[in-house]
Parts: sequence; C-alpha cells; structure tokens
Amino acid sequence: MNVRLILRLVARDWRAGELRLLLAALLVAVGTVSAITLFVDRLQQALLAEATSFLAADRVLSGSQPIPDSFRAAAISQGLAISDTLSFPSMVYAETSAGRNQLVSVKAVSETYPLRGTLRISDQPFTTDRPTESVPERGEVWLDSRLFPSLGVVLGDFVQVGYEKLKISRVLTSEPDRGGSLFDLGPRVLMRLADVPATRVIQPGSRIGYRLLLAGDDRALNEYRERFRDQFMASGNYRWQSIRESSPSIGSALDRAESFLLLGGLLAVILAGIAVALSANRYAKRHYDHVSVLKTLGATPNEIQWGYFGVLTVLGVGGVVLGLLLGTGIHLGIVQLLATYLPTNLPLPGARPLWLGAATGFICLIAFALPPLLALKNISPMRAVRRELNVTTTSGLITYGLGTCGALILLVWYSNSLWLTFWALAGGCLVCLVFGVIATLLLRGGRLAGMQAGSLWRLALAGLQRRRRENVAQIMIFGLAIMLLLILVLIRTSLIDEWRQQIPENAPNHFVMNVTSNEVGAMQSLLEEHTDYDGKLFPMMRGRIEAVNGVPVRDYQRRSRSADRGGPRLSSERNLTWTSELPPNNKMIAGSWWPSDTQESLVSIEQGYAFGWGLRVDDQLTFDLGGLKVVAKVANIRTVEWDSLRPNFFIIFSEAALADVPATFMTSFYLSPDRKRFLNDILSKYPTITVIEVDELINQVKQIVSRVTQAVELVLFLVLGAGALVLIASIQASRDQRMKEHALIRTLGGSRRLIAGSLASEFAILGLFAGVVAVVGAEITVYALESQVFDMPYQARPWFWLVGPLIGAFIVVTVGYLGTRSLISTPPATILRDL
Amino acid sequence: MATPILRANKLVKSVPTAEGLLTILDGVDVEINSGEAVAILGQSGSGKTTLLGLLAGLDLPTSGTVHLDGEEITAMSEEERAKVRARCVGFVFQTFQLIDSLTALENVMLPAELRRDPEPMQAASRYLERVGLAERTTHYPRQLSGGEQQRVAMARAFASRPRVLFADEPTGNLDLTTGARIVDLLFELNREEHTTLVLVTHDESLASRCDRRMTLAEGRTVP
Repeated sequence: MNVRLILRLVARDWRAGELRLLLAALLVAVGTVSAITLFVDRLQQALLAEATSFLAADRVLSGSQPIPDSFRAAAISQGLAISDTLSFPSMVYAETSAGRNQLVSVKAVSETYPLRGTLRISDQPFTTDRPTESVPERGEVWLDSRLFPSLGVVLGDFVQVGYEKLKISRVLTSEPDRGGSLFDLGPRVLMRLADVPATRVIQPGSRIGYRLLLAGDDRALNEYRERFRDQFMASGNYRWQSIRESSPSIGSALDRAESFLLLGGLLAVILAGIAVALSANRYAKRHYDHVSVLKTLGATPNEIQWGYFGVLTVLGVGGVVLGLLLGTGIHLGIVQLLATYLPTNLPLPGARPLWLGAATGFICLIAFALPPLLALKNISPMRAVRRELNVTTTSGLITYGLGTCGALILLVWYSNSLWLTFWALAGGCLVCLVFGVIATLLLRGGRLAGMQAGSLWRLALAGLQRRRRENVAQIMIFGLAIMLLLILVLIRTSLIDEWRQQIPENAPNHFVMNVTSNEVGAMQSLLEEHTDYDGKLFPMMRGRIEAVNGVPVRDYQRRSRSADRGGPRLSSERNLTWTSELPPNNKMIAGSWWPSDTQESLVSIEQGYAFGWGLRVDDQLTFDLGGLKVVAKVANIRTVEWDSLRPNFFIIFSEAALADVPATFMTSFYLSPDRKRFLNDILSKYPTITVIEVDELINQVKQIVSRVTQAVELVLFLVLGAGALVLIASIQASRDQRMKEHALIRTLGGSRRLIAGSLASEFAILGLFAGVVAVVGAEITVYALESQVFDMPYQARPWFWLVGPLIGAFIVVTVGYLGTRSLISTPPATILRDL
Repeated sequence: MATPILRANKLVKSVPTAEGLLTILDGVDVEINSGEAVAILGQSGSGKTTLLGLLAGLDLPTSGTVHLDGEEITAMSEEERAKVRARCVGFVFQTFQLIDSLTALENVMLPAELRRDPEPMQAASRYLERVGLAERTTHYPRQLSGGEQQRVAMARAFASRPRVLFADEPTGNLDLTTGARIVDLLFELNREEHTTLVLVTHDESLASRCDRRMTLAEGRTVP
C-alpha cells in the first residue's frame, strides 16, 4: 500500500475513534516515562547538588600530607573547579584584657571556597544568620558563635593564632562541610589560606588535614580519579571522597530513593506496555473484517503487513511527539506544584529522559502492538464470505516472546539494574502462573455459587462463565495492575517509615567534648537539669594499634585484604574509650560482653573495622596511647548504629585496661532550637570544653528525606494513572462482546437496571477476584524486593488481605462502569445494527 | 468458440472437525466462459459459498485445480493470488462488507487505491453516480439503508473493472422490492461492463436470469 493510502487509513481510523485508545496508551507510556525521568533527572541532580554541599564540593581529595601541585594543575587542565582547605587544631588567644584562650579547630580556605553549598554568617553570636558568597578577608577571621562567650570577645576584637594577630570580622554560623568531620575537634575559626604561613603553626609533625575540593561534571571527575587512582593508593596518604562515602545516611537515602523512583518508572512502563498491548489487540480484532475485504479487493499479505506497519509508524511518531510534549508539560506542572519545596534553581534536564521517552514509545509499539497487527496479514479473505471463520493469528511464542523481549530491554535500560529487572520479571512470571491458577479456581467456585443466585447475579456469573478464558486473562491483568499499585504503595510506606526512623525525633544534636574528669559529675547534672539528657559521659583518648598478635601493625596491614583499599589505615590514630556496659545502639555479633567488674584487659571492636582488617575474637592487640603501651585481648565484635548520633567508637576497652590513662570526656544530647542560649551558659561556665552543634546537619538530612518522599509520592501518582489506563483498556477490550450480549438481553425484555446491575456485579466479582490475586502477588514481590533490593526487614500486613480485594472490587467497578456506561444508555437497535 | 475464463477440475475441499474429516466439496468440475452469467444453486450447507471462495482464489482446495484468466491460481501463493484478484476479480457480498470507517466514496475508491491508480476518485464518483448515489458520497455505511449499502458495494465491485464478478447471495439481506432493484442494477452493469458473473444463490428466480445454472447438493454437482 502506498504512503498516501496509509495516511488515509490512519486518518480514517482516527476519525472513527479506532486509534484513540491505542494512542492514549502510547501517550501515557511516553508521557509518564518522560515526565518521571525528566523530573527524576532534575531532582536527582538537585538532590545531589544539595547533598554534595555537605562536602562543599562534588568530590574531595583529602590527606594528611600537602596535596601536590601536580594534582591541582591536572584538575584545572581537566576543566574542574578547585578550592583548597587546611584544618588544624590550635590554641587561640583573645587579645583582650581577660586574655582567655581556647583550643579551636582552624580551617583555612582559599578564595573559591566552598565549591558547593554556602557559608552562613551573622553579625552577632546566636542570632539569625544569612548566606554569604565571600570568605574572610586577609587578616580577618570568622568565629563560631560559641567562641565569643568562651573567649570573651566581640566583633572587631583580635585573636592570636600562632604568631599572627587576626581581626574578628563575622560570626560563622554554618559551613557546608562541617558535618563531614564530626570529630574535627573544637569550635571553628575560619581564616584565609594565605594567612597561614604567617601564623607559623604548620610544623613537622603537626596534625593537619589537607583537602582539595573538586567540582565539575561527572565524567571529568571520574577521569581525574582514574588518572590518579594509583598515586592515591600507592602513597596511602590521600583519600577520595564522594557524598556516598562521606555521609552514609544521606548516601543510602539517595540510593533507595533512586531505586524507588526507578521501580516506579519501571512499573509505569510495564503498565503502559500492557495498555498498549490490550488496545492494539482490540484494534486488530476490529480490523479482521476490514482486512478480509481488503484482501478480496486484491491487497496482498505483504501490503497488509506493511500497511499496518505504516499505521503503527505514523501512530508511533505522532504518539511519541505528543507524549514527549505531554511528559514535559506534566513535569513542568509537577515542578510548579512543588515549587515551594524544590530548590529554586532546578538544573536543566539532560537529553536522556527525552530519548528514554521516545524509545519507550517505539519499543512499546514494536513489542506489544506489532504482534497483533502483523497477525492481520494472516486473516483469510474467506472471512468476507464466512464471518465465523477462525482467525489464525501469530503464534503465541512470537507474541509473548516479543512482548517479553521488549519488556526486558525497557526494564534493563530503564533501571540500569539487572538485579531489579530480574526480580520484577521473576515476580511477573510467578504472578502470571499463580494468577492463572487462582483465577481459574475462583471462576469455578463462582459457577457453583451462581446456581443459587438471583437473576442479576446469575446473569453476571453466566457472563463470567461464558467468557471464562477472557475473564481469566482479565483477572490476571486487573490483578497485575492492582498488584503493581499495591507494591508501590507498600514499598513507599516502608521506605518512608524507614527514612523517618533513621533520624528519630529528639535525636542528639549537640556533642560536648574535652570535659575533664573532675567536671564529669557537674556536667552530667547540668545536662540532666536543663535538657532531657539520660546518657553518660564517655572517656576519650587518642591511640593507635601497634601490633596484632605480636606482628607489627605495618607488616600486618600489608598482608590484609583491605590493604589496597582507600580510607584510614589500621595503624591510624583513633578515638578510644572504655566502659563497663555495652553502649545503647551497639549489638554484639561475636564473643561476649565483659562482666562490669572484670580486671582483664579486654577490647571490643566494631564489625566493619574488625572484618576489614581480619581481626578476630581472642586476638591480642597492642596499643600505643601517647607512648603508653596497652595490651588487650579482643573479647567481642559488635555493630554500631553510626546514624544514631550518640557517642560511637570503633574500639572500646574494659575499664581495667585504661582506667589509669588520662582522658577527657564526651557525650551528646538533644537541645531544642529555642534553648540554644543554654550553650552560652555551659561555655561561660566551662570555657575549656568544646560543644559541636550538629542540628544544622540533621535538619539538612531531614530536608533531603522529605523532598525525596515527595518525589516518591508523585511518582506513585503517575503510576496510578498508568494503572487506571490499563484497566480502561482491558475493559474496552471486552466491550464489544458485552455490548452485543446486553443488547440482545434488552431486546428480550431485560431492563436497564438489570443490565447495569449485572455489569456492576460482573465487575465487582472480577475486581474481588483480581484483588485476591493481587494481594498474593504483592506479598510475594514486596517480600522479595524488601529483602533483596531495598535491604529492609519484612513486615507482616494482615489488614492487607481484607483491603486488597475490596479495593480491587471498588476500582474495577468504578472504571468498568465508566467504560461501559454508553452500553446501558444506547438503544439496543443501534448496537445490534453497528455490530 | 468462447474461451473459458474460469475452469476448475476435480475440486475437493475437506476440513477437520471434532467428528473427523468433513468433505464439503467432493470432485466438482466447473467451466465458465468469458462474458457468461452462471448461477450456482443449492441448499444451505451444499458447498456453494466454499466453491465461490475456491473459484475466486480466496481459499485453496484440498485437491484439484482452478484456472482463472488462464492462470492456475491453486498453484499460487496468497501473495500472487491477491494480485490476480486485484487485476481481474470483483465481489458483491450478502452482508455488503463495506468498511464502516470509510465514506461511500472512500469505499468505492479502495480497489483503485490498492492498484495505485493515479486518479482513484474520478472513477469512483462515476460508479457511485451510475448506481444512483451521487448525492450520498460523504455518507458512512451506517447512515445508508441496506439497499443503498449494497449499491455502494456494487459500485466498488465494478470500479475495480473486474473480468469476473463473484456475487454471494447479493439480495439475501434485502427485502423483495429492494432486492429486485439491486438485481436489475447488477445485470445492467454486468452487461455494460462485459463482465463474467458467478452468482451464488438459492433463489430460483434470480438464477433464472443467468445464462446457465449449476446446482450443488452435498458437495457434488447435480446434473
């Protein structure tokens, strides 16, 4: 057939309303996928941008040695933005009459700092702050609020850092990468890198953290990393950090959100695919007669095949273009809708979402719509004279094979995860098998019940029995759609609950450190009196492992499988503590906790640390605590909830091991924002202690979680739309047959009420059965997804078994009734004439 | 001597059923000359429609041969048979078989469009005018009466300028008066266009207007 004829066929079919459902399904497929991907793409970029502000950069190269200039030059030549920071502890002296001093953590920054996120400052301590684009001028410093009372200074005063006198010009309230190094001891003093040499504080042996901040596009960053990987590793002096490594709680929230959004998009693709398949099937069935007539008029099978292929191409191009416009529109609407919650400047989307949308449209058409349309070429021209002639369609193998291949390609491409695809497909296959069996059994049971039913229900059950094959298929499709929606709702609920639990309300948001042993009792009482504090102060000292079972640590770690890993070495200095009770949020996984009165020198090791370095229970570890040798036996290995924001330690000793070693004490507590002044009181009373505020960090994490939650809910809404379309398409598919039967019943005297009632009953039964089937499938899949993909514990949901079928019945009756309304109101004569 | 345009030899058509193989046609021979009008008569289930399908190349026999316009269509693929149909066969069906999404004019244009004629609309309009439906060109089948639909179907059949026209119970769905008018029109057009007519019917009076009749009973020709 020539192009003009094909275009005319499309125009005529369009005019007759034949293509509308297929186009609608295609629009939903392309529209949903492109809307989700456009939004997710931009949101992910924004979330990542927000998350990277915790690093103040996209990536950070950190180390205890100066960063070589060659690293810096290479980054610049690769088009990356760079900034240098340098942190070190130092005593600062107030140049006032009181002349107080304080141990602080100095951070010296270059002019470009920070590359991501913003510094916030205020003009008075403990007052409302504002963002700033600048860094301290040369010769000036910015001080943490809490340093003002403890040093007894005001803005304009001078402090002495090393040999240099610097003017206090601002109050520093927050810096983006403060959260990255929680135990970066002491309140912050921010100064210019260029002023550091004059202070002369950098001496051989000084504890200095060098950081090279890097920002730029992912490819350039990865290339840079690859280029220097060997040098980072070989020296062991540098560590490469991205947001996922440096802040695990945010990293895992992002990972799960990504998984969820992908899963949502993936379900939308499957649902849209089913909708396309159903409407293409209906379109093909309605064309059996047309094709047989065209064949009697001389159309060859090849012409029929290419003709319908042409129809599909025209439809595909039109559908994809309109779908992309629709998707863009929906995504803009969403952005508008969530404008108040979203970052003000969402980054522009890349081209990938649009490609993905377009490819989804064409793959959907080829995989789901092409098989029934290609089968049209096999329609016998004899059908024009013998309408009852059976239609030989394409073999099931080709139809389902193409469908499965298409679904596979889309799933893998879309999720970038074979694992997620495997589970989705395995779930799908299992569900089809289980659904088929259950649906058949339910329909058989329905027939027995129908014998005793009244005329309305009998008619409905007779309808179900007559089209048993179609109904089993329809229950499976309804069940699948409802199941996918249930899965999404369940996973969303679990995910959000899990996220919310991650940072519980009133989690500690302040750390107190450097408390001396004779201040412990007073500090404990002060905290208990002014806050809801119920913890204890932990002693803390620095020390390093010197030998493992007598093997010097450097030899030992060279042999370890973690030797070529980045990150801290086994020989690195660490914070150590001792306690007689297992701290809350710690769980033993090997060995046993020591009795509180033990006199043995024992040590407890954190799981990751122990496994990473191959440490086992009963190993003998030799420690060096500032020259003091301590030998301790590993008594147990435990897990630590690092996100709990309580004092957490990799290494804990028994009291007997370290009781005589001098230590300062630390703890964490919750302080509500309106009681911030309490910090001033503590610091005035105990000027030598250090308070670290992490409330800002917690708020930032909470904000990210809440935005991710909104995105998740939004995707759910879009997928619900796709699900509804599947239901409509499925009901439309059986509409012609229902129409004929009900017109006949009405000509035989059946009332409209009877028809409406029997239709509603039929849909209710279908929906109820589909609901049962969906609950079974959803439970199995959710269990698999929770345990394998999202890494969450399984939760039983008994209410679900009641609600599922009822929701199924409600949805199917509503959609079914809307889809077949015209069936009841059209006069039977019109229907019979049209058939 | 007239040349046969349609010749069938020992046509057998059997189909598998639940009860075993059912023979619908059992060794039927047919020979129809160019320009002839032949009626195939018989009771319901005698095999008339099956025979028509085989003669027109819509279906293939279990055994036997059919030659149409000098070519053995039973040895051809569906692709080749379709080309033969496009070139020299027209149909009029009992149920009209108009495409309901197309207007009357578009339905008549279809054969010419399939043949890729450069001006399909002109010929189509002429035939619609010839069957008296010049005013109904933009109407859809559902907007036309049964008689009008059959007239559109005839316009479509003749618009393909067939050498052989197959008509399957063309009046079966029409009342007597309308049926009679349709039959008149059919024979008029057949004469004008010098078409060979193969007419399947169980109506004796309709059969009597043909040059020759052939009766089928239980899948065989009855002398």
